[in-house]
Amino acid sequence: MTAAQPADPQQPTGELRLTVGQRGGRGIATSQYHQGALRVIRPHYLDGTGQVAYTIVNPGGGYLGGDVYDVDIQVEDHARLLLTTQSATKIYRTPGDPAVQHTRFRLGPGASLEYVPDQLIAYRDATYRQDTVVELAADSSLVMCDVVTPGWSPDGQQFRYEEVRIRNDIYRDGRLLALDNLLIRPGDPDAPLSGMLFLEDYSHLGSMLVVDPRVDADLVRELQDLLAPLDPGGQLGISLLNGPGFALRALSRSTDTLNTLLHAAIDLLRHRWFGQQPLNLRKY
Amino acid sequence: MQNTRTEAPGGHPSSYLLPLLQLADSALPTGAFSHSFGLETFLERGLVHDEKTFAVWLGQFIHTQLTYSDGLAIRLALEAGSMDELRQLDAMLTAQALPRQVREAGVTMGARMLHIASVILDSSEIEQYREDVGRGKCSGHPALAFALAGRSLQVPLPELVGTYLFSTATSLTQNAIRGIPIGQDAGQRVLRQVHPDIAAATERIAGLDRGDFGATAPGLEIAQMRHERQRARMFMS
Repeated sequence: MTAAQPADPQQPTGELRLTVGQRGGRGIATSQYHQGALRVIRPHYLDGTGQVAYTIVNPGGGYLGGDVYDVDIQVEDHARLLLTTQSATKIYRTPGDPAVQHTRFRLGPGASLEYVPDQLIAYRDATYRQDTVVELAADSSLVMCDVVTPGWSPDGQQFRYEEVRIRNDIYRDGRLLALDNLLIRPGDPDAPLSGMLFLEDYSHLGSMLVVDPRVDADLVRELQDLLAPLDPGGQLGISLLNGPGFALRALSRSTDTLNTLLHAAIDLLRHRWFGQQPLNLRKY
Repeated sequence: MQNTRTEAPGGHPSSYLLPLLQLADSALPTGAFSHSFGLETFLERGLVHDEKTFAVWLGQFIHTQLTYSDGLAIRLALEAGSMDELRQLDAMLTAQALPRQVREAGVTMGARMLHIASVILDSSEIEQYREDVGRGKCSGHPALAFALAGRSLQVPLPELVGTYLFSTATSLTQNAIRGIPIGQDAGQRVLRQVHPDIAAATERIAGLDRGDFGATAPGLEIAQMRHERQRARMFMS
């Protein structure tokens, strides 16, 4: 055990900045900076397409109250980045201030980002705020997912956290295309979690946002038909955004089911748009 | 329930009362009668099937989507300092409606509400907003049109927000009366039952911050998305 370091109020708990450019037909980091409890491990190329894969690591193992994480990722023109995490994002008890993560993704013309993080696990009495701002060019390609679990508590009960909010603001060509704001406050009596407008008796929530010039109503229908049978007991909704993109929401009873669903969508898109094989993150 | 009445000075109604009642009338031709905002998916699934289950649905609808989108938008519009801020709110209202049918309902009902507000009121902001919508600079949304009417009439925030929420609840109840169906008296009982919900939501809206904007309930949103594929629909959303 080491003595606690006095926290610098100006310095985020963890900071990560990464710029990926396209050099010699493949994505490489053209600049990289990390500080505190965030870093990336050595990049991989999972196939021959030149898409670079980075894994974000939180060496602290979890987020605590008052923690601020700051992530700024830029994908330059025509570069392609696959970004994932090493393990689930765990939010421990946050007495006092919430744990916060600010993320900014900037994609240049023709650039693509697949952001496939592990699930979020909020512990008892945790409050977590995640704000992500995405800035896209008209022909950038974005696929991003989130899986929110019922959390963890010592007595095994679900949904003992205080609050989880996940907000994504997506700008395309400078225009606000989608504002996706998810707020889960299990203790709110006016909007009970088990109510039919919230989760019913489902425990896991998955969501996905995709923006790409190739998205249209036919693709949305195709995905609906492909995905719905994968979780017949779940609830799935997909809808076209106010531009070439779609939002997907799914309620289910396990992280695995949601991952099966989300990965089926990811695999269809990466195969059709980039001629790539199904995503295999080789984490386990 | 306490019934304390306050007299407006001079013995006549506040100057905003009659135009506000007119804009909030459930017979206002905005097309609200053809939008269920996902309710029809819950009817199809059998989760809403009578007075009691509809009352539960309506209360939760008020406390989730209606509070964080339309309700908060009205407050932010009253606080807005410039037309640019109002245009930004219009963009936020459109962007937060991820289900396509909800977004389209906002656009069509917004255009109607703007037209009617323009007939009833003489407001340069409403005319400007109409022009922005006409030229494609804005999408149009009934909550923002209503808020601009409220700005012009100088309606106090709680009255304006409470009126809008109740007006929306009334339209949805009329739709439930036809869609479930339930009786007219049952509809009135449900509307009376949500008075405290509307009061609480109005109070909550006053304390929200911009980061809360567009917060939604996943089950509702999924139902609104699934409605696109529902067979035999009575409603357009």
